[in-house]
Amino acid sequence: MDYPDDLFERAPCGYVVLNSQGMMARVNQTLAEWIGQEKEELLGKRMTVLLTVAGNVFYETNFEPTLRLQGFCEEIAFDLKTKSGKRLPVTVSARGRLGGDETGVTLVTVFRSVKRRQLERDLLQARQAAENAKEALANTNASLRTNIRRAVGKKREAQRVLLAEQETGELREQFVAVLGHDLRNPLASISAAGRVLAPEVTSERGKRVLQLMAGSVSRMSGLIDNVLDFARGRLGGGIHLMRDPTSPIAPVIEQVIEELRSSAPGRDILSTLLIPHPVNADHARLGQLVSNLLGNAISHGDAKHPIFIDARLADDGTFTLSVTNKGKEISPDRMERLFEPFVRGDTQNDKGLGLGLHIASQIAKAHGGTLSATSQNGETRFTFIMPPFSSDDNDG
Amino acid sequence: MIFAHGYGCDQQMWRLVAPAFEDRFNVVTFDHVGAGGSDLSFYNRQRYSSIDAYADDIVDIGRELDFNDAIIVGHSVSAMIGALASIKAPEMFSSVVMVGPSPRYINDGSYIGGFEREDIDELLASLAENHIAWSNAMAPTIMGNSDRPELASELADSFCRMDPEIARTFARVTFTSDNRADLPKVTAQVLVLQCRDDIIASENVGRYVADAIPHAQFVMLDATGHCPNLSAPQAVISAIKGFV
Repeated sequence: MDYPDDLFERAPCGYVVLNSQGMMARVNQTLAEWIGQEKEELLGKRMTVLLTVAGNVFYETNFEPTLRLQGFCEEIAFDLKTKSGKRLPVTVSARGRLGGDETGVTLVTVFRSVKRRQLERDLLQARQAAENAKEALANTNASLRTNIRRAVGKKREAQRVLLAEQETGELREQFVAVLGHDLRNPLASISAAGRVLAPEVTSERGKRVLQLMAGSVSRMSGLIDNVLDFARGRLGGGIHLMRDPTSPIAPVIEQVIEELRSSAPGRDILSTLLIPHPVNADHARLGQLVSNLLGNAISHGDAKHPIFIDARLADDGTFTLSVTNKGKEISPDRMERLFEPFVRGDTQNDKGLGLGLHIASQIAKAHGGTLSATSQNGETRFTFIMPPFSSDDNDG
Repeated sequence: MIFAHGYGCDQQMWRLVAPAFEDRFNVVTFDHVGAGGSDLSFYNRQRYSSIDAYADDIVDIGRELDFNDAIIVGHSVSAMIGALASIKAPEMFSSVVMVGPSPRYINDGSYIGGFEREDIDELLASLAENHIAWSNAMAPTIMGNSDRPELASELADSFCRMDPEIARTFARVTFTSDNRADLPKVTAQVLVLQCRDDIIASENVGRYVADAIPHAQFVMLDATGHCPNLSAPQAVISAIKGFV
């Protein structure tokens, strides 16, 4: 080992000596090897030739000014450009003021810091990740709080709405029920009055008037029945059936047909009733069903053609009743919603509440049966099919 | 006469030049917000996202100290900052000395600023790494240490202090700025001082600035590098004295 030359040339770090102009006056062998150039090629040049663009900006704006101002500058990270093109991360410290007279020198040490740089990068990244995570967490917390507040608010609102609707609903049902009764009573009076007058009326015109009155009363009564049923149905009571297993049902149906003939004179209603045995059903309700179906046919059917009603009791006890009318077909949209409440037909013909078909289908269901409709080729048919009653059936 | 330091350091940059003018002028030196001993609580990234805010600060100083026909001496990016301040308050600033100015650092078509976009990206990335080297040591400022060099080595770094985060933002603001359009609006008398081998603001950029500003003079200094106010203070003093 040859002091001090070997110490300088072969130290495990790079040495640079800068003259007062800031040019490289001496460079040791180690540094020359690191950057892959001959020492001689570097002399007389500024250290900026060894640095990257970014390094040069730092060198000019901070490194050299600091040296000139305070005489030392330590632990600065630079990347050296090497002949192979690869960058070499180093840490640089320098002592000296540059400037001054020609004898002044500045000593610079250059340490390789590949591992140190990687560690610093990792630390910076980890810190950035931690800060990002902290921010993300804060955001998540904030949005969670907002969501919870919103959900609680919505729930409270929903409860409020439900309560309000319940109250309104109850009041509405009460109103409808009371209204139904209030409408029925005067109607009963008119009906009774008509019956009282009947024996006294002898003229043809008078008899016709009484007939028309009876028809109107019957129609109104049907409407009120539907409304009351609907109100009761909504209260959860459903349609309770009072079954009659012994009386014949044909007379009930015939009476309904007669009532409707009176209410719509000029319309042909033709019937075929083949019911050899009693039908175990609520006769009044079935009458209501027939009334609603016929009323519907009268409202919507073509007045130039007759309405057919056909009721049969099969050998197995299945009761089938159908009402058919000619006229404009029901559109597919309306077919879908036919049995829903408040759904009305064509506005011109339909003067009802939109409850008739709905009530009829409820009556059908209550009897364990079905009410269906077809409408094609200019003909509409409603068919009620009721299986025979067995004592296990639940009514209503 | 107000001296504005550029990117990378603080008002210490002027300590070899500013005193030479104290006999004739009221000399003011200051640290930009974020540099040196400035109050960092005034730094606001939104506000200082363009060099315009730094120009506003100089106008504020001028208003506070009642400037009239003052001279701004701006180094590096503060040359542009000074130009903007003179446009904002022409009655306050009648002359601007630009040391190593550049209106735009990134190349743009036929305009050679000296840097590619990737170079600036690399610069900003590397600033993050030197962050560790730049951590502030709160040591008192040392003045005039040239006769006591051993003292200097015992004290922590106290020069060219910059908050690392602010340094990154200020670097981005500086090196992505473009004030070419403002040059023709300068009505003050302007002196451009240019060094040889200045990689940050090369000669063609200095000439561009002098050509674009009406009534501007161009002087080539006998100095190399970007900081003649430290490396060749006498040349700078002479050039300015010839102008004011």
